[in-house]
Formats: sequence, structure tokens, C-alpha cells
Amino acid sequence: MTKVLITGMGAISPLGADLPGSFAQALAGHCAIGPAPADIAKWLPDILLAPAASEPHTLLDSKHASLDRASQFAMVAAGEAMTTANITPQPADARRFGVFVGIGFGGAHTVDGLYSRFQSAVQSEGKRNPVLMHPLSVPRMMANAAAAAISMRYGLNGPSNTYSVACASSAIAIGEAFRAIRDGYLDAAIVVGCEAMLTPGSLLAWNALRVMAKPHADDLARSCRPFSQDRSGFVLGEGGAAIVLESAARASARQQPALGELCGYGCSSDAAHLTAPSSAEQVYAMQQALDDAGLQPADIQYLNAHGTATETGDVVETESIRTVFGSREHSQLAISSTKSMHGHLIGASGILEFVLAVMAMNSGSLPPTATLEVPDPRCDLDFIPQTARHGCQVDAIMSNSFAFGGSNASLVARRYPQ
Amino acid sequence: MLEEIIKNYLINTKGKDASLFNDPQLQVAALELDSLDMVEMLFEIEDRCGFQLPDPTRYPKMGFREMLADIEAAIREHNNGELPDLRLEGEQ
Repeated sequence: MTKVLITGMGAISPLGADLPGSFAQALAGHCAIGPAPADIAKWLPDILLAPAASEPHTLLDSKHASLDRASQFAMVAAGEAMTTANITPQPADARRFGVFVGIGFGGAHTVDGLYSRFQSAVQSEGKRNPVLMHPLSVPRMMANAAAAAISMRYGLNGPSNTYSVACASSAIAIGEAFRAIRDGYLDAAIVVGCEAMLTPGSLLAWNALRVMAKPHADDLARSCRPFSQDRSGFVLGEGGAAIVLESAARASARQQPALGELCGYGCSSDAAHLTAPSSAEQVYAMQQALDDAGLQPADIQYLNAHGTATETGDVVETESIRTVFGSREHSQLAISSTKSMHGHLIGASGILEFVLAVMAMNSGSLPPTATLEVPDPRCDLDFIPQTARHGCQVDAIMSNSFAFGGSNASLVARRYPQ
Repeated sequence: MLEEIIKNYLINTKGKDASLFNDPQLQVAALELDSLDMVEMLFEIEDRCGFQLPDPTRYPKMGFREMLADIEAAIREHNNGELPDLRLEGEQ
């Protein structure tokens, strides 16, 4: 089977406007979490958000101004990844080059804007017609809007597929692109995760689910506290991340160096509960990914955990990791939840955390679980508390994404060449 | 104002060359607008006049000035012969 190499990466996140900036802030333990803007805070005064570090439209050509914000994040991240990979539009093998996108909720800004405009017109006492909506509302809000924009921007004629698997969306997109190249259906793919739903409507809905973090008394920015005794839930973030995957033969033919080898993918479904996770199927996803890579648990030195800071989620994930990798006394595995710093990017979280893990592998510097001050005794693994760890030898990494709906995905990457 | 609104959209959003509009014989087809461009352009007017203009597929067969006259006639028909103020809220 074909080896699948990572030849480009990019990100726009709450931590930075590009991937190097995001990774540097993650290593610094910077928490990019803060209060909501006034139009949200007036209804939800305690809600916290992790907005992107930069407005995506300012980083794009003006012709992309009409895209939904999520698609704009996708275009920014894809642009960085394609530039890193030295790939320009209209590649000669365009039909062998696919687009794989993960997004949880397509077009939230467009939908919120649509209802806001409707309500405003209804209350305008006949001055404006509530029926009139922008004719591009549907193309903006459709879930595959980002995939369409990327395939057109780069002239890629391979499949342009969108995966909507809640918090595992972009991890699944990576895994499916990996399989398509490994199994010979494609030679290259741009994989993107994007999410933008820091809108009043979305946040009212998330608030109703009662999974959002409460403001921390000492420091609002440190309110997302995975694996901590005082954790209270997650903080919604926004942004995008991207990777370019290529067969080893394609990368070699154009002498493009690899940032790593994507070598393992596992996925499973709990088939049990909408929101409560199941350890057995998380374990199965991780074991599949290891088997796929031909690696043993001891071959992985760093794991970027799903680590959402929910009461049940962190305990179950700890149990699952312990089952696969062994207890702290019997394992050298270092783990962190970078959601403590960039929040939960839902559809974009899997790929953002994967690229941060690849950066950790290549640099030997592991980002921390920045807010882990008093660990929950049930979360008894090495979760890299508070500060980054430097000078580590990392040959392979794993990234976990476990979604509402019970969908689980694990990815494994290793150094290339080994 | 109608002409300015449409020209501004075509120049600023669709990147059309401003000098195109110096030609009094300019044909709408020469602007190379696809169907999405056309409905988006019309929305710039509809948003201001408060109703949906009928059948956008006929405009590509018209001259640019003929299209402007047709749109103005439709707006007047909707407003008892008057051309209303087309400024959006907040515009001077």
C-alpha cells in the first residue's frame, strides 16, 4: 500500500492567524478564551468564547468576502497548507487530487444573519420586506460550501467530499482522505476542518445543552480546565486548519519534503447514547489506528486528547487511554488537551489538534494542558500540566476525536523518514 | 442612483472594468454575468425597493441602459409611478 505523507499544514485559530503562531502560543500556555461580545452577553452573561485571532476576510482576496465565515476560515487554512506544500492552482493531475472537509454546522453565521434580518424587517413597520433574502444565502450555508470554494480556488477535479460528524468531522475527513490515497483512489488531497458558530442563535442552543464552562473565579481565560477536579465544561471556539496529503511517490517526484507520515486511522461508533461516551468503542478506535500503523502503544510518545473538560468525557477518555497504553506507572505516554487554550472548534477541532500534534512531533516540544492545576484523581495519566515540555524525542503521535452522536476517530502519524 | 448602485456592485464586487460603462451601447451580455451574478446584482436593488424584480433571465438579451430603464419602470409600477428613495438605512 502507498505511504501517505503530510506535505503541507496550516491553521487559523484562537491562538494565531497561522500554524506557527498558533503552535507558539500553545507552547506558551496562552489561553485565548474571553467573554462574549455584547449582542451575546446581554442574553448569556456568563458564556465564554474563543474567537479566532484574526478576521479571516482580512486574509483573503475581496472576491471571497461573500463566503460564510466558516468557508473563509477554510480558505485561509487551505491557503497556508497549499503554500507550505508548494502547490499552485490547476495541478496537472487535478483529477487525482481530492478535497476533504470536516464541518459540524455549516453556515451558522449565514443562518443567524438570515433570521436576524427577517426579525428586523418584521419589526420595521412595513419599511422593509421580510421575504427578501440574499440570493446566495443557500450556497453560503450549505455544509459543502467550503469544499466547493476550495475545489474551485485550486482547480481540483477529484472528489470534494464533506464530512459532518460533529466534533470528529475533520478527523474523519483526514482518515477518509488517508484511505483514498493509501488505497490508490487518489494521489493527493487537501483536507480542511472549519467551524464558525459563535453566533447568538448557536450559543443559545449550546447553552441549553449545559456543557459550557463556567467563568473561572481567578482568570476568565483559564476557564476551560480539562482533566481538572474543578472542570465545568468546554468553551466554544472558531477557526480552521488544513493539511496536504500526498502519496510518497507524488511527493518524491517533485522533491517535496514531508512533515510526517500519516500512518494510522481508526473509527468506531458507540451506538449507545447521543452525548455520553463509551470507553469500549474509543479503545477500539485507538487500537485500530495503532494496528493500521503497525505500531505498538509504546511507539507513541505524545497524544493530543479529545479532552473537552466535561465531567463524564474526561474520565471516560482517561479510562480508554489507560486501557490502550497502560497506567501512568507502565507508560511513557505524554498527553495534553490543547482545548484548554484554543477552546473546542467542533468540526475543526480534530484537524487543529492533529496539526499541533505533528508540530509537537517535529519540534520535540509538547503543548500543555495549560489549566491543569488540581487533577481529578480519576484522570491519573501524564496530562502535561500547565507548562510545555521541551527536548522530547517524539517518533509518533496520536490524536483523538470523540463526537456527540457517539462517533470516534483516532489518527496516528510518525516521523518521515523514520 | 439606480445606475450608480448597479455599477458599484459590478465594479466593486464583480471586478468589472469601470471604463466598460462609458460605452452607451454596452450590452448586458458583454458583462459576462452568470445566473448567480445576475440575481445577486438584482438583489442590490431589491433590498432597497422592497420587492423581487420579475424574471431576471430577460436582462442578458438587453442593452445595459435598456436594463436600467426596465428596472426603473418596474420600480415605478410598484410605487404608483414614483421612484422612491433607494438609500439603505444609514446611507447618506
